[in-house]
Amino acid sequence: MVTTTAPPSKPSAKVPAQRPKAGLSRKRREALAAYAFLAPDSLGLLIFVALPMVLAFGVAFFKVDGFGNYQYVGLDNYMLMAGDDQLWASLKVTATYVVTFVPIAFVVSFALAMLVRNHFRGIGWVRSAFFLPHVVSLVVVGLIWQFLLVDKRGALSKLLAPFGLSDVSFLGTPSLALGTYVVISVWFVMGYQMLVLLAGLKDVPKELEDAAEIDGASTLQRFRFVIWPLMRPTSFFVVVNSTIGAVTGLQAFDLVYVLTKGGPARATSTVVLYIYEQAFTFNNMGYAAALTTVVVAILVACTGLMFAFTKGGRFDED
Amino acid sequence: MAATSFPATPVSRRTILRGGLGAVAASAVGGPLLTACGGDESGGNAKEMSFWNFYGPSDDQGPQSKWFISLVDEWNKNNDVKVKLRYIPGKDYLNGTTLQTAFQSGQGPDIFLISPGDFLRYYNGGVLQDLGPALSEESKNDYLPGLLEARSVDGKVYGLPMEIEPLAMYYSEAAFEKAGLSEADLPKTWDQTLAVAEKLTGKDRYGVMFETLPGYYQNFTWYPFLWQGDGTPIKDGKVAFDSPAAVQALKFWQDTIQNKVAPRKALGDGGGDVVSNLGSGATAMQQSGIWAVADMRARKKNFKYGIIPHPTPEGGKPATDLGGWAFVANAKGKNPEAAAKFIAWALGSTDAAGVERQRQWNTVVKTNVPPRKSVQAAADAKGAFAEGVLKEFVSEIAPTGKPEPRFPPEVYQPIADAIQACQLNAADPGKAAADAAARIDTFLKTYQGAPIS
Repeated sequence: MVTTTAPPSKPSAKVPAQRPKAGLSRKRREALAAYAFLAPDSLGLLIFVALPMVLAFGVAFFKVDGFGNYQYVGLDNYMLMAGDDQLWASLKVTATYVVTFVPIAFVVSFALAMLVRNHFRGIGWVRSAFFLPHVVSLVVVGLIWQFLLVDKRGALSKLLAPFGLSDVSFLGTPSLALGTYVVISVWFVMGYQMLVLLAGLKDVPKELEDAAEIDGASTLQRFRFVIWPLMRPTSFFVVVNSTIGAVTGLQAFDLVYVLTKGGPARATSTVVLYIYEQAFTFNNMGYAAALTTVVVAILVACTGLMFAFTKGGRFDED
Repeated sequence: MAATSFPATPVSRRTILRGGLGAVAASAVGGPLLTACGGDESGGNAKEMSFWNFYGPSDDQGPQSKWFISLVDEWNKNNDVKVKLRYIPGKDYLNGTTLQTAFQSGQGPDIFLISPGDFLRYYNGGVLQDLGPALSEESKNDYLPGLLEARSVDGKVYGLPMEIEPLAMYYSEAAFEKAGLSEADLPKTWDQTLAVAEKLTGKDRYGVMFETLPGYYQNFTWYPFLWQGDGTPIKDGKVAFDSPAAVQALKFWQDTIQNKVAPRKALGDGGGDVVSNLGSGATAMQQSGIWAVADMRARKKNFKYGIIPHPTPEGGKPATDLGGWAFVANAKGKNPEAAAKFIAWALGSTDAAGVERQRQWNTVVKTNVPPRKSVQAAADAKGAFAEGVLKEFVSEIAPTGKPEPRFPPEVYQPIADAIQACQLNAADPGKAAADAAARIDTFLKTYQGAPIS
């Protein structure tokens, strides 16, 4: 190991004084290592995400017909949005989905993380069972749930039959479809969010909880005053990630596409699905690109606000 | 020692978290679009043409896949410009991004399949090649009236139909027997349909089924009910959708759901999948196309079923929709003239081999109504339509049909929204028809492409 610190004792007359070896300081080496580790992912993001995003921003100023023809239209694509009722309807669907899915998914995942926090016999199996839905392709998830929710013949219809509810169509009724989609999404992501929250819970010092217990704090008080404050950064990460996923993630497109294609009667037509329709059904690629930039702007603004209000998830820190 | 260019400040976890979340936010939208824009190889050099389709060579190596492979093999044996098949799974071909992104990037296939619903989009995009110079008069005259016209603009033919797929109502004999109904009870009118469906509806079964998933296919299956009342979305270039015919057709489908005699969600691949719905006993009557005959033959051989024409409204006329895909050539492809020749040879040859090839496709590997008179005659000679449901399709149902309309997405979408709103969301059919008509009218005022029909 290279050291830059002079030996504490006086150098002997026969041994020449040791000079500090040329090289990087420890801090710099750590920084170098950090950047080296980050480089592959950053390069990937730059080439495959950032660059296409910049290009999409450029395409938004053109009318693109889907056959390689571009016509500069300035801000026309953005002006079109104001009068596009279906866009606003799809934004409303996405907003409804976000404000229901994000909190429900968070509470369920947190509860699961608390449940599997302490060791008990078979904990590995239980954790795996909760996480399992997340490793299944969303297309397969959609097909499984479609099978379970079949009108009259699905498992759920059979369960509800004694209550006279066998005719309920969870995916075919506009008032129920979005709620059903929220439930399926929660089932899909809860394992992943549980794992992230579990990692956060493992960082909560046991001594603090023990001390609170000795001081007479109840289970609820220990959660409220010890665990919850220390879990804020992790919770913040989960909520932000979940919000982004709900607006533009796979479940916002794949699941909807497989389950309902945006129906019944546009009840599950999310904004991402609407953008897809504009691009690939209507061949309005310029308009779709403009919509994309607006959705990104909304997301960045929302994320920025969350950071601002919570000081990056640390809330009451300086 | 030279100073390093790296910052002395270590990278904090907070910085990484902030950067990471920013990147996630940024990538969230870019990601799906990026994956949607995956590049595709098309063709090769001018001596090789790509042919994108959703039949073969597929993994299942079924008869339809084999027909495509042998078709191309036969061509390649005798021609310098070779054809290379590229199989794209049906769902991706119909509703995915592969074809569109390829054309957008100038990498579209030389030959591909197209449905009537997509015809104008591609024609107006300037990528369809005139097939006329490659087609003989004999070949043109061999097609049934109206079929080439549906794929023509200004007298030039841009697509050759490979099949005709009329729609009808399938019914389960067992379900009728179980409900104490006989052939005499088969519905002829919409009111009878609702009444009979009510008798057929039980604990595990619906009486009747129409498509409920939004999309081109649902529109395609609904048009006959509009036509029965003499309605049409566009007449003489002007919107005509806000009509009593449209309102009553929207209401009929709505009634099947409101009366709880039809499901809101179909099984399997949807409303056209007879095997998964009628064949499983989930419904007693189902609207679907002639293709289901081959499906039932392959997967539900012993299931007893029959077909009837679409029931009509009081005073209405019988009608069906004649669907069917066509081969088209890419005018911006690597060898459009050779591609046109290939299509004319593959589907339009009037020699014995060409007729036999078409007979195989329409009556052996698939069940369609042949689009050409000579192929129909060859099929009849083999007794392909001598009895059973295929006979009814050819003799009773197909003659009442109209070619599937070639509406661009801006016309199809308002109609789709009206159907969905009425069928599944109890919307007022009159208002839904008026809303759709207004949207179509707005589009037509600025439309500059080929005539819509």
